[in-house]
Amino acid sequence: MKKVTSRAFAALLLAGLILLGMAVYLIRLVRDGGDWASFYANDSVYTNGVIDRGTVTDRNGVLLAFSGREAFGYAEDYSVRVSCLHVVGDMSGSIGTGALTAFRSKLVGYSLLTGTTGSGGTVRLSIDSALNVTAYNALAGRNGTVLVYDYETGQILCMTSSVSYDPNVGFDVSDSTYDGAFINRAISSSFVPGSVFKLVTLAAAIENIPDLWSQTFTCQGTYDVDGKTITCTGVHGSLTVEEALAHSCNCAFAQIALQLGGDLIAEYAEKYGLTETHDLNGIETAAGSVDSAGSDRANVAWEGIGQYNDLVVPYSLLRLMGAIANGGVVKEPSLLYGKSGGTERIMSQSTAEALSDMMSYNVEYNYGAGNYPGLEMHAKTGTAEFGDGTSHAWFAGFITNPDAPLAFVVLVEHGGGGYAVASPIANTVLQQAVFG
Amino acid sequence: MELTELLFGEYAGLLANVSRYIAPLLALLIVVRCVRSMLRERYEPETWAYLYLPGEVMVPLRHWECIVGKAKSTDACITHDSIDKLHACLIRDAAGGWTVYNLGRGETQVNGRTVAEGGLPLADADVLTLGDVPARFVDLTEEERASLLKYRHRPGRLVRPAGTLLLLTVFQLLLALQQLTYNPDADLLCAMGFAALAVLQWVYFAVLRTSGQRGFEPELLAFFLSTVGFSVAVSSVPGAVLKQLVFLAAGVGLFLFFGIWMRDLRRMKSMRLPALVAALVFLALNLVLARVTYGAQNWVEIGGFTFQPSEFVKILYIYAGAATLDRLFVNRNLFFFIGFSAACVGALALMNDFGTALVFFVTFLVISFMRSGSFATVFLAISAAALGVFLVLTVKPYVIARFATWGHVWEDVYNKGYQQARAMSAAASGGFFGHGAGNGWFVDIVAADTDMVFGVVCEELGLITGLSCVASILALAAFVVRNASSGRSSYFVIAACGAVTMMMTQLALNVFGTMDILPFTGVTFPFVSRGGSSLISCWALLAFIKGSDLRANASFAVKRPEKFSGGAGVEEVPDAFPDGPYDIGGPDTGGYVPTDGPDGIDWQREDPPEATR
Repeated sequence: MKKVTSRAFAALLLAGLILLGMAVYLIRLVRDGGDWASFYANDSVYTNGVIDRGTVTDRNGVLLAFSGREAFGYAEDYSVRVSCLHVVGDMSGSIGTGALTAFRSKLVGYSLLTGTTGSGGTVRLSIDSALNVTAYNALAGRNGTVLVYDYETGQILCMTSSVSYDPNVGFDVSDSTYDGAFINRAISSSFVPGSVFKLVTLAAAIENIPDLWSQTFTCQGTYDVDGKTITCTGVHGSLTVEEALAHSCNCAFAQIALQLGGDLIAEYAEKYGLTETHDLNGIETAAGSVDSAGSDRANVAWEGIGQYNDLVVPYSLLRLMGAIANGGVVKEPSLLYGKSGGTERIMSQSTAEALSDMMSYNVEYNYGAGNYPGLEMHAKTGTAEFGDGTSHAWFAGFITNPDAPLAFVVLVEHGGGGYAVASPIANTVLQQAVFG
Repeated sequence: MELTELLFGEYAGLLANVSRYIAPLLALLIVVRCVRSMLRERYEPETWAYLYLPGEVMVPLRHWECIVGKAKSTDACITHDSIDKLHACLIRDAAGGWTVYNLGRGETQVNGRTVAEGGLPLADADVLTLGDVPARFVDLTEEERASLLKYRHRPGRLVRPAGTLLLLTVFQLLLALQQLTYNPDADLLCAMGFAALAVLQWVYFAVLRTSGQRGFEPELLAFFLSTVGFSVAVSSVPGAVLKQLVFLAAGVGLFLFFGIWMRDLRRMKSMRLPALVAALVFLALNLVLARVTYGAQNWVEIGGFTFQPSEFVKILYIYAGAATLDRLFVNRNLFFFIGFSAACVGALALMNDFGTALVFFVTFLVISFMRSGSFATVFLAISAAALGVFLVLTVKPYVIARFATWGHVWEDVYNKGYQQARAMSAAASGGFFGHGAGNGWFVDIVAADTDMVFGVVCEELGLITGLSCVASILALAAFVVRNASSGRSSYFVIAACGAVTMMMTQLALNVFGTMDILPFTGVTFPFVSRGGSSLISCWALLAFIKGSDLRANASFAVKRPEKFSGGAGVEEVPDAFPDGPYDIGGPDTGGYVPTDGPDGIDWQREDPPEATR
């Protein structure tokens, strides 16, 4: 009998496995319960597939979207609706990265204890809808994106994406001008970076070419690499590295890129988070790419200049600007008001300071401080040549005004020159952000 | 809604809302009370007879089935070269008669007669020769019997079952209120269904209480689970409540029948072969007549009445699979059992009922391990099963599809992960307390009220109720294992472990399949899933679990005391050995070593049984 009774514990083994399984379930419930409960099929919070509770506001409490069993709607003001569309998202979930989709579990009022048996919740975004309106208007109908964030607190103040549409009206899908209207260009698209990428090449050079500061680079308008020609925007003559950046001289950066090699540049792009995806409050951003493996030296030169296969997501560039401003430490951006992300050091303080000084020098020496009244501007332009002869206009950088530690990225697709097109937009938006 | 408004006016909604929070807490309280009551009774070993070895070393026999041998795991361990590891088996029947069986290669004699295959009866003062060691068998005296009986009749430490039953009644009332408030299809009949449920359990309680029973925890847990299941049925098909009640009553009836049947172990044993044949006939019938439902060919329709034969085979399988100790150590019996099991599992696999086949297989593993104690046998069975699973997987595309979906349901919420994604969503949406009985949407999804019922329970009645249901089954398992330590016959212990294993496996496959922790196999949650065959079979299986309960006045396995004691004056008899023989022996002593040769034995019957304390 003793034999049999002691073997009865075999049944307890199964009970142990069940307890283990229940523990797995509970852990998953704690971790993912909000996502499960905000799944569109949950009829207790969705009516006909549309979320039927919750409110989205901007940082100042301006209503951006609301939803109820009887009705739902967006911001009252047309400009707010259009300029904030991609951040807020739409009720049908077409804009997958919008707050209405990404922060569903907050909107449905989910908590572990009450599930969705309570009432809906409010999502207060970090963005300033008025700033978004200004930025969207400054894009003036051209496709592109404007991003501004506080690199000390991580709060994203401005995130607008064009082409956009009025969610109350929708758009004609056969109209090709609306191609990609569901995509938030700030976080979900990658673009050829052009000269803004020279900051990455430069950072790699600062840390890997010991005599960088004593080198002089010669620009005769073109530079020959193994029989292929690197073209420059002008004939810059003899240049120090500071002058090379201020003039955004392709010939000088081709030489620097060749000294570094393509792999090292790609390594820095990865280290600075340009080729990785990021987690923005649970929203997965797109990844860029920088790669010239197996290609010839001319393409390595172009890689260092921000052309060839280089692709960068505006959001990733914004993080990098924040890191340079912050002495090499990224404060992770956040779209939720008052919610702070983590920090991560991605470059040494000395490299960050050197880059910062040179970006300030760009303004002083070339862009003109008078173009940015009252702003302690540090920036880099980019005019990224696109295959069809047009160029993306970039302007990326940060200001160090003591009460406005803001980093920014402006991109105008096929907009032309970075200095001529993107820089004024940045100034307009920052003037409002700093001085109201 | 109209009805509750009529009753409670404007407070109807508020009342239902408040009851939403109370009901899950009641569920928890009911389970906690049952668990406390089941597990706090202390078990003292009982002694049923003695063996006196040379040198007047006394070995108590503490079960109705005892093994004597050299191995430390035996009940009476005697270390002597002439004795086999498992030498002999002594079995007591309900009437008090003992039989000895020879297990090993060595010889066993009773008063000089060699014990053959059929065993030999053993009476008081008989000389039992094990190998070269002579032992004297001493049955209990009348005083000892009476004392044992008296001991068994001490007041127990049960948590008052009537209180728990009252809580359960309130629970049922609240669920009825919620159904009427939230479920637009729930009518007066549904409310009366809950009332009928309450009446059924009170009648059951009254009848058994009147006959002197006091321990009701397994039944209370089953009534609790059946109540949750009834609420699911009302949410799912409000028109079918009457049918559900009939099934429940039939289940309780079958439970009682088995309970009474089980009191006579000999009768029980005699029907093992017919049960085995019946199981195979059921399965064969199923294979011939069944129609395909949700990919599994496991429903049979006879005269407009549909049922699942495999559910009834579960009962027969346990009935035929459990065995008494004398049969356990004969390999022929074990191989016969393995063959029977293979036939059952194979037939279920042929029916595409992969989930139930798995339930049988796990139960087989536990029973065969309990019977053989040999990991080698179990591993052999596992490798055979692995081969079988491989064959099933290569042959049955829908099984492969389910395995492929496993762990990826959220990647395919429109097709393969459709049900499970919804189940998880519904369960999470219920939070701790749920949306209220009848206030869920998940129940309308195909098979939600059966194979994914855990999702419905969590959505409507909350995580607390869901976990309480799981805890109920685990409590039954703990109860069975605890009872095993004082089990009298291995038949009851094995049957109870088998039954509880079946329930636990079903629970695991149901809950974890629904929640994407295991591949989805479509198995019912014991007592809770809607469906007649499954409910009836669960109640019948509960009889095996109840059968392991040996507490005074709580047991099926033990007959009522007046019949058992033979009318001896219980009150007048003093305790013959209050703590007496309970401390001797056990594995620590390393066995009883005969100190003298056969010649030095004192055969005097009148020796007091205390010397070896």
